[in-house]
Amino acid sequence: MRILIVGAGEVGKHLCGQLSSENHDVVLIDKNPASLRRIERQMNIMGVSGNGASAQALEQGGVREADLFIAVTDVDELNLIACVMANEYGVKRKVARVKNEAYLSGASPLSQYKLGIDLIINPDKLMADEIFKLSQIPQAFEVVEFAHGDVVLLGYDVAANNPLCGITLQDAKELRGLYDFLVVAIVRDRNTIIPRGGDILQPGDKMYLVVRRKDILAIETLLNIRQEKPHKIFIVGGGQVGKRIAKEIAQTKVEVFLAETNAERCEELSEQLGPVIILNIDGLESQELITEGIDTADLVIAVTDSDTTNILSSLLAKHYGAKRCITRISRPDFIPLLKKLGIDIALSPRLVAANSILRFVRRGAILSASSLSGSEAETVELVVSERWQYIDWRIKNIQFPAGVNVGAIVRGINIIVPSGDSVIKAGDHLILFAIKNTVTTLERFLAE
Amino acid sequence: MRIGAVITALGWLIVFISCFILVPVPVSLIYADGRWMAFLCSSLVGFLLGGGAILCIRPEKEIGHREGFVIVSLSWLLASAVGELPYYLSGTIPSVVDAFFEAMSGFTTTGATILIEVEPLGPSLLFWRSLTHWLGGMGIIVLSVAILPFLGIGGMQLVQAEMSGPVKDRLAPRIQDTARILWTVYVVITGVLILLLLFAGVDFYSAVNHSMATIATGGFSTMTTSVAGFQNIWVEIILVIFMMASGVNFTLYYRLYKRNWQTVFNDEELRFYIGVFFITTLAVAVLNFYEDIYQDFGQSLRHASFVVSSMLTTTGFGTEDYDKWGAASKFLIIFVMLCGGMAGSTAGGIKHVRVLLFYRFSVIQIKKYIHPRSVEALKINSSKIPSDVIQGVLGFISLYVAFFLTATVIISIQGGDLVTNASAVLATLNSCGPGFGGVGPARNFAHLPDLTKLVLAICMLAGRLELYTLVVLVVPGLWKGAHGPVFRWQKKEKYLWR
Repeated sequence: MRILIVGAGEVGKHLCGQLSSENHDVVLIDKNPASLRRIERQMNIMGVSGNGASAQALEQGGVREADLFIAVTDVDELNLIACVMANEYGVKRKVARVKNEAYLSGASPLSQYKLGIDLIINPDKLMADEIFKLSQIPQAFEVVEFAHGDVVLLGYDVAANNPLCGITLQDAKELRGLYDFLVVAIVRDRNTIIPRGGDILQPGDKMYLVVRRKDILAIETLLNIRQEKPHKIFIVGGGQVGKRIAKEIAQTKVEVFLAETNAERCEELSEQLGPVIILNIDGLESQELITEGIDTADLVIAVTDSDTTNILSSLLAKHYGAKRCITRISRPDFIPLLKKLGIDIALSPRLVAANSILRFVRRGAILSASSLSGSEAETVELVVSERWQYIDWRIKNIQFPAGVNVGAIVRGINIIVPSGDSVIKAGDHLILFAIKNTVTTLERFLAE
Repeated sequence: MRIGAVITALGWLIVFISCFILVPVPVSLIYADGRWMAFLCSSLVGFLLGGGAILCIRPEKEIGHREGFVIVSLSWLLASAVGELPYYLSGTIPSVVDAFFEAMSGFTTTGATILIEVEPLGPSLLFWRSLTHWLGGMGIIVLSVAILPFLGIGGMQLVQAEMSGPVKDRLAPRIQDTARILWTVYVVITGVLILLLLFAGVDFYSAVNHSMATIATGGFSTMTTSVAGFQNIWVEIILVIFMMASGVNFTLYYRLYKRNWQTVFNDEELRFYIGVFFITTLAVAVLNFYEDIYQDFGQSLRHASFVVSSMLTTTGFGTEDYDKWGAASKFLIIFVMLCGGMAGSTAGGIKHVRVLLFYRFSVIQIKKYIHPRSVEALKINSSKIPSDVIQGVLGFISLYVAFFLTATVIISIQGGDLVTNASAVLATLNSCGPGFGGVGPARNFAHLPDLTKLVLAICMLAGRLELYTLVVLVVPGLWKGAHGPVFRWQKKEKYLWR
């Protein structure tokens, strides 16, 4: 598949790396030749320097043969025009990153369908959604939804008081009683382990569980990781992301504080966000923040535009006793570092955007695929078609491609913890764990 | 630096080369020269070596640019080491050093030979000589990336370390496709030349051999007298055209095929390249005519055009002993030899684009003496050349001079005269073949001492890989923090993925 990507920012770069490693023909268009050459040296892609909304650059990049067009520069207007042009060239699927919602929503006579754009990505909105999702299951550092959200994959840090610690997973099966859950992956010292019955969880590991959404509460209690429902959430930064999160969380009847450095913006926010307490404090004024009680917050969400402010205010809050923090950082390369510093969850808006584009790109038999942070594994959710040759086969008889493990089978509302004798039926959702870059192989395997 | 990744990749490449060593076996059987055992044994050695490496070392996928340099340089060395076996095992070249020199000269498309007479090798070994040219011409690595799928992203690092020229343009988003396109162009041009030579009355065997040597800009012939042995003016004309064609950037042919006429005809490097050819040919023809070396201007033009195109594209075919020409003609020949072909061609030398860039850079520097505060962009094909590319070219030329001087000094310690030594280094560094004096077109490299031959073999490789790729190998920083290979039988961790 030939894919044209406009904009060599973090999103573009991340997409290039992922898509080219899946053996797609990727062409990257950007106006900065120096950064293009740098990316060309690292990744198996072709760079075209020029304006992404100019016919010359597009034709040079082979837009006529392209199957997918992704415009992810920092400029909304350029992305829109580029997509409209790609539409004229007959590209089938188009994705644009548009921050300003005023263009295409509400009373606007234009809509994404009129412009022929299949997917509009708003990084701020995605970021806010992601953070909101995490804030609802505050102990998990990773939440991935499957089967329309009925089944979730949760990542937890394993503490010493976790009853799963020190016993084999075989024995843990008895402990879980009525609730179905499955430890599908363990990350220990940056190595990803696909556990078997004899494996033992150790404190300090990260574990990934597949559970039903309605069982989350019970399982968290069972595993001693449930803490009280957050009462107080402190948001640092009243930009687009901060505002959206505050609005959503305030609806869940939790006390929300929002600190914003710009006084005018504060007034604007207090106008729009009813019950939220708006504070005119900079994220780095430590005394003021402590006075307002950032130290007693159950969750601190730092989402200013400045990475420094986000990191420092999160660290400050954690140091004085805040329970958890979610920190926005624009450079994804530093995420593993932040975890070492004690920041529980670090999110990069660009990575979040890129991942949601990838999910769109892989539409088909594969419903979703997302990479687990800090591990080499990817989770893939897919539907088994009726024509698949392995229907009604036992799992142990099916030769899955190397590096692929069946994590769970979702049939209707049941999650089946698979054993070698489990049978796969048409219409099942399989949740697979795969080493990175096996998605293409999997797609082919499923078509057999 | 992951030594394991290097060894695995090299193992695959040796196996790859060993497959090609089997190609001359049918040739040997058809012509009944009794050399087929030598090829079988050689390829067996190659399979054992390469297969052993692959089977013993646990594969590591990641190939970074550092591994790329090491793999590319060593793969050429190993290819020559395995490629020399047929010569050695058949007993036709009894010295290991000589056989290595011949094989390296083949793969790097130099065409310098240590054989006083080539005919005794027999049809199959002569075919192997030409085949090494042809494989090395577009590049062993480029070929293996085009054919072998497993190299993946690593393949990109390798191709970048092997392809010539200061700027590497891509024809397709994926490097594998680019490599495939280049090899297709290469095969097609070779096929066309074979047909044309057949029309000109050359027998099939010679046509195939000379075509491979021409398109690779190699220079090995199946006759000691080289192309002069044909005594056929049409053959000479065809070869001049195709030697020149092989010195052209191969991506331009693909652009022609894509009907991208404008890009091709406005290519400044191409214009410069053709200009150099015509002006030098004319100058040499006139000089030789006036110095009374040839009585007939037509004759003078014929020899001048053949020698100039042969040396400009660093092929090294001979029709005439240019060593008897005047000093000015000889100097012009050295000049075109240095210029070499175009970037992205199979030819060696400094490459025209670098010479052009160097020239424009000098002009800008001189202008700065008149207008000290002036700013002028260096442009080629009406686009600005970034300063890191300019620096790369300047660095290349300095390194080139330094390499030339060092190699000349080393071989001069072992005797010989100035002209022979300097021209031997130039002829090998530019992958040209014949030089002047003791290594002139009517002579060969057989009489040189062994160490000299080895140094010259290194020069050939350095020239083929455009210096940097080979020279970084001796920089200690490249090897710092290298970690050794993991054998397959070493304890495997339980982790599925690391």
